[in-house]
Amino acid sequence: MRLNWRILIAIALLSFGSCRTVKPYQRAYLNDNAMQINKKNIDKLSQDMHSYKEGASGGGRGKSSGGCGCN
Amino acid sequence: MQLSRKMKKKYICFGLFTTSFLYGVSQVTLNPYGIKRISKSNIEFVYSQYIGNGDHSAITGGLGTEKLIVYEPEVIINRQIDSLSSYWVDAGIDVITSASMDNIDFVMSSASRISKRGYIMPGYNTKLKKNQNIIIGGNGYFSIESAYRSLGGALSIDYVSKDKSSELSAEFQAFFDDLRWGLLNGERPLRLVYPAELRYKEWFSNYKRNSYNLSLSFTRTINEKMILAFFPGISYQQGLLSTPYHRVYFTDSTERVEKLPDKRWLIPLGIQLNSFVLDRYILSLYYRFYHDNFGITAHTMEVDLTAKISSRFSLTPTFRFYTQKGSAYFKPYFELDPDQPFYTSNYAFSSFNSYETGIDARLAVLAKQKSKLYFDTIWFRYSYYKRTDGLYGHILTLVLDLVSDNSNKINKKI
Repeated sequence: MRLNWRILIAIALLSFGSCRTVKPYQRAYLNDNAMQINKKNIDKLSQDMHSYKEGASGGGRGKSSGGCGCN
Repeated sequence: MQLSRKMKKKYICFGLFTTSFLYGVSQVTLNPYGIKRISKSNIEFVYSQYIGNGDHSAITGGLGTEKLIVYEPEVIINRQIDSLSSYWVDAGIDVITSASMDNIDFVMSSASRISKRGYIMPGYNTKLKKNQNIIIGGNGYFSIESAYRSLGGALSIDYVSKDKSSELSAEFQAFFDDLRWGLLNGERPLRLVYPAELRYKEWFSNYKRNSYNLSLSFTRTINEKMILAFFPGISYQQGLLSTPYHRVYFTDSTERVEKLPDKRWLIPLGIQLNSFVLDRYILSLYYRFYHDNFGITAHTMEVDLTAKISSRFSLTPTFRFYTQKGSAYFKPYFELDPDQPFYTSNYAFSSFNSYETGIDARLAVLAKQKSKLYFDTIWFRYSYYKRTDGLYGHILTLVLDLVSDNSNKINKKI
């Protein structure tokens, strides 16, 4: 499976093309907890486990290739 | 005594002017930059547990138990100082019971080896006084365990557009790690630990690993029910990237310690779309592409669907699919070519798919208005992870979010 850059760029252009300004009183849905983009603390152990058990670990948190008993 | 209509108007105007002037003076004197004193703390207690097993431990050369239990209690305190600034401390201790760690020296003195890891991460961020659309921040990081010590830090900058429809952020992290054994136990001399039968020589001259990560994010509001984000990044690692107690077995029946290159470039790119559907459901779609110079290419897809059962309670089924084309450095037990320059039997570097499915339950606790300390949220998650080579794990997490709010008291004093 290969990354199809053309599809990604098309999604981005279509999305941004349809953007519109949202007024403060229209942000009720956007302010909902489940709509937040940031990763939550409830995901932390799952992410740590992925970094030990999978190759696509990234370089974060200084523990990207072992060092603990998670082998 | 009756006042004329003109006089009444004059007194009213004078009164209004004086009131507004005095009010204005008090505001200017106390808050020259429009900063409001806030004394609010969020205290999050997080308890996580992982229970898993498999049959491909890298410690025993790609064949052997991977039985593992991890207990992770953690506390995160986030204190807002005023309307511009806040600081936080994230600290925790992990207790790890790993059957495979027992096999470093094959001394089965216990049912399994128990190790501990402690960490602390203090941080601070603030909006710029002159341009409150820009937030700058930084944090330190320190963690220690029996065979690993990590020192690090991060700097970040965020820009939020005036209409809050776009957000750009950049974060740079650096970690400086030491992989010698005995850092936590106080054993001397500090040294790299190799499998018991391979301690007749020093396999590595370097015991340090440095990691540098640059993470960018661009978030854009599409409309009042939809938000899109891109996460490009780049990471670089340099130093001892092999794990010194991982065994490898070759086709000629010889045995060595795992050996990987001492430089690694990693390129992740993520995209996420969150949108409200039918007013009660929130659909979150996430895709991540990853490639590195070890030859690993990976794709991750995640789908979460949050159902708002009531105004306070929501349920979120989650599903994650991951597929990876492995590195040429990987071969299974006794299948490595002795002429390969780099070699490992760690299945994290192999080709496989993995699946994770779970459910979140989130309860927003209604706070009493007069209470200074109250529960804000209780959050629970269970998920099951399965890798196609047979490894599996159960993950449980409980988050209790407590709020301490003294803002009213402070502002009354002012």
